[in-house]
Amino acid sequence: QTKWDLPAAYPASNFHTENLTQFAADVDKATGGKLKITVHANASLFKANEIKRAVQGGQAQIGEVLLVNFENENPIYGADGLPFVASSYPAARKLADAQKPALDKILGAQGMKVLYTVAWPPQGIYVNKEITAVADMKGLKWRAYSPATSKIAELVGAQPVTVQAAELSQAMATGVVNSYMSSGSTGYDTKTYESIKYWYDVQAWLPKNAIIVNKKSFDALDAATQAAVVKAAADAEVRGWKVSEEKNEFYKKALAEKGMKIMTPSAKLVADLRQVGVIMKADWIKRAGADGEAVLSAYEKSSTAKK
Amino acid sequence: MRKLLDGLYDGAAWLGAIFMVGTLVSVLAGVLDRQFAWSLRGTDMYAGYCMAACGFLALAHTLKKGEHIRVTLILNAVKGPTKRAIEIWALAAASLLSMLFAYYSVKLSINSWQFNDVSTGNDATPLWIPQITMGVGAVVLMIAFIDELVLEIMGRRVQVDSDEALHHE
Amino acid sequence: MSDIAITTLLILSLFAILGSGVWIGLTLSGVAWIGMQLFSSRAAGDAMAVTIWGSSSSWTLTALPLFVWMGEILFRTKLSESMFKGLAPWVSRLPGGLLHTNVIGCTIFAAVSGSSAATCATIGKMTLPELARRGYPEDITIGSLAGAGTLGLLIPPSIIMIVYGVSADVSIAKLFIAGIFPGLILASLFSGYLIVWALMNKGKIPPPDAPMTFTQKVYESRHLIPVVLLISAVLGSIYAGVATATEAAAIGVVGSLVLSLVQRSLSWTTFKESLLGATRLYCMIALILAGAAFLTLSMGYIGLPRHLAEFVSGMGLSPFLLIVALSLFYIILGCFLDGISMVVLTMGVILPTVQTAGLDLIWFGIFIVIVVEMAQITPPVGFNLFVLQGMTKKEITYIARVTLPFFFLMCGMVLLLWFFPQIATWLPSKM
Ligand code: NA
Ligand code: NA
Repeated sequence: QTKWDLPAAYPASNFHTENLTQFAADVDKATGGKLKITVHANASLFKANEIKRAVQGGQAQIGEVLLVNFENENPIYGADGLPFVASSYPAARKLADAQKPALDKILGAQGMKVLYTVAWPPQGIYVNKEITAVADMKGLKWRAYSPATSKIAELVGAQPVTVQAAELSQAMATGVVNSYMSSGSTGYDTKTYESIKYWYDVQAWLPKNAIIVNKKSFDALDAATQAAVVKAAADAEVRGWKVSEEKNEFYKKALAEKGMKIMTPSAKLVADLRQVGVIMKADWIKRAGADGEAVLSAYEKSSTAKK
Repeated sequence: MRKLLDGLYDGAAWLGAIFMVGTLVSVLAGVLDRQFAWSLRGTDMYAGYCMAACGFLALAHTLKKGEHIRVTLILNAVKGPTKRAIEIWALAAASLLSMLFAYYSVKLSINSWQFNDVSTGNDATPLWIPQITMGVGAVVLMIAFIDELVLEIMGRRVQVDSDEALHHE
Repeated sequence: MSDIAITTLLILSLFAILGSGVWIGLTLSGVAWIGMQLFSSRAAGDAMAVTIWGSSSSWTLTALPLFVWMGEILFRTKLSESMFKGLAPWVSRLPGGLLHTNVIGCTIFAAVSGSSAATCATIGKMTLPELARRGYPEDITIGSLAGAGTLGLLIPPSIIMIVYGVSADVSIAKLFIAGIFPGLILASLFSGYLIVWALMNKGKIPPPDAPMTFTQKVYESRHLIPVVLLISAVLGSIYAGVATATEAAAIGVVGSLVLSLVQRSLSWTTFKESLLGATRLYCMIALILAGAAFLTLSMGYIGLPRHLAEFVSGMGLSPFLLIVALSLFYIILGCFLDGISMVVLTMGVILPTVQTAGLDLIWFGIFIVIVVEMAQITPPVGFNLFVLQGMTKKEITYIARVTLPFFFLMCGMVLLLWFFPQIATWLPSKM
């Protein structure tokens, strides 16, 4: 019998974690208990930014990471964090496929591989006033938690503010922060509706969680067990994307019930924001080089092919 | 030799103290940045690195000043050779543990460099750089424990009761 | 090996290594190492380094060294002396006299700091020498400080509430509000105990000063102005949206430096002393925190807390018995783990059971905070005990013993909370 530890950063009640638990149970069943995966939710084993390294170093055989978190290390990880490149579930799916070979390449070089990815619901703008154009966003105190979100703040003329996730609720209540970009689920989980009243459903990007596995540990499994893991992962991916889409609707409704105004952005706001997206994309390609260009051209090819 | 070692412990501690000031400055910079929009990046992360450096670099000095706490119930109840035997065991165990700590702390920094482990925050610092302070602090602590062990075996160890106790007269 | 055998072996090795005088932080690492090597299939070394680095450089912890430094600066000013001058006329005729400054000081400082160790260290730095100088007995002084220091967790802001709020998916703002009444009630319980103790131990407390008229008392209160200014600056910075709860510690340090400058007690020597003193005290705590973080990781790998939690959850208890069982469970766990680890390691298992039992999650959060407070003062791993051992050089067993009555008061607080849940739930329901 083999035992794997799976560190994950989100609470047990989060849909990603529930999906992981199901995945572990599926593997257990399919292998007849030969491979037991223990899910350590809520960052109880390793913290979000330590998980990739833990899998790489073999302290955990498998783990869940938010890919965009690692864009400092390699811009490829940030492909799904580019604003207005892939703004819907079908588009995000295509981007995921286009990003996969490049991810396999960089993670493979570090002795890891991707088992599956699941998107978070699309990112919108939480803000304490009505906005109709990017000009209205000037001077907003904008929570920036990564280089990309800081860059967006700069481009829209907002002031990037550093506040840790743990202090976000309090920071919003006291006005340290009055805007940030995130999905409906984050706003619901952090009770953003207690202090911020508008959410603009701009669908900027759909960041993904990836389940990554240490290659040595994976190769050490027998062929049947490997196949069972791959099969369970494929199932988890399908299930996860479906649940994510359902949750997106659920969270929007839930936010509205809590008094949050769910706003459809004006045409002007969308056009302005797309400008921001164009600048960031150009900047990203410069940093990501040939691999980055390959990801985007593969994605563009697949999205035009269908039309 | 004695002078060199004591200089090492105190020097590291002073460096640690400077990092305490660094923690304060980083946190304050973050607060002021919001007021004056200096567009500083990653002050929160730098505060964390400074705090870690402060804690690790001063480990040996704090030991030498007798401020790392331990349970001395049994040690105080016994005398003579028994006491000496227990002291030697405690120092040997601590030396061993601090060796493990030092070895893996140094390895952490090297691995971070090999893994290209970069901070996920706004600072994008390659993590091996701040992690050096942990490696150095742990190695100096290890030296301090071995130093104490050797002194104890040679019967020359003087236990400092820190001046801190005087504050509470 | 069964869980019971593993637990027994680990606890025995913990007591053996601690008892033989190995430094506490290293002992925790040692036990974690033994546990991981023997009872999990993972190698300990690299995981240890990753975890220790992660917890030691975590931004949320930065308030602790800064508050420790603030305490060291204030200790070298006339602030504590003037605080006592200002408070004495009000409390000195109360049985227990100036002992109440421990409780009042911690209650007020708890509104500034989210950590119990920081509250204990900062207030202790001011009250311990003053109370000793005035002839108050050491045991009750230390005990009441260790006990009252834990209020840092119950009175908002509070680190542990944030951790619980995120795990349990409840409003952190509501949790903060919910902690106010229980915090004040617990503080009154502490003060009440001091009164009873003083009545039963007449003669141990120095005689009160001569009675004063009300106007005299108010006039004497002018000595409180510096303290009030400092606390207002720190609290004000939080509520005006200038600083977050963690950053407020930095405001505290700057405020204390300004204060000592104004009082002319700031010189290069006192600055240097305060800085090195704070570095050492924080360094002592940091070594233990590092060991505790590694022990938590080891427990996560072995799965002991999770198994125990599963066991309690599986017993199918009535709500009251569930709370009794959980209290015992967390008290035992709290002897060996720090509060945040306890919550993080067990919430995934415990919460569904709590929800099935129909308990209110805000109420349960306050319950958790109180049991985590208990963990701060139970040996062998209790951070308030460590802080006080560092400051007084007393044996940890002595500190634990003199703090025991306050542990029982907290047990009483849990019962009170069970029979009068409105203590916690009424205020948030008005939001
Ligand atoms: Na508090
Ligand atoms: Na304890």
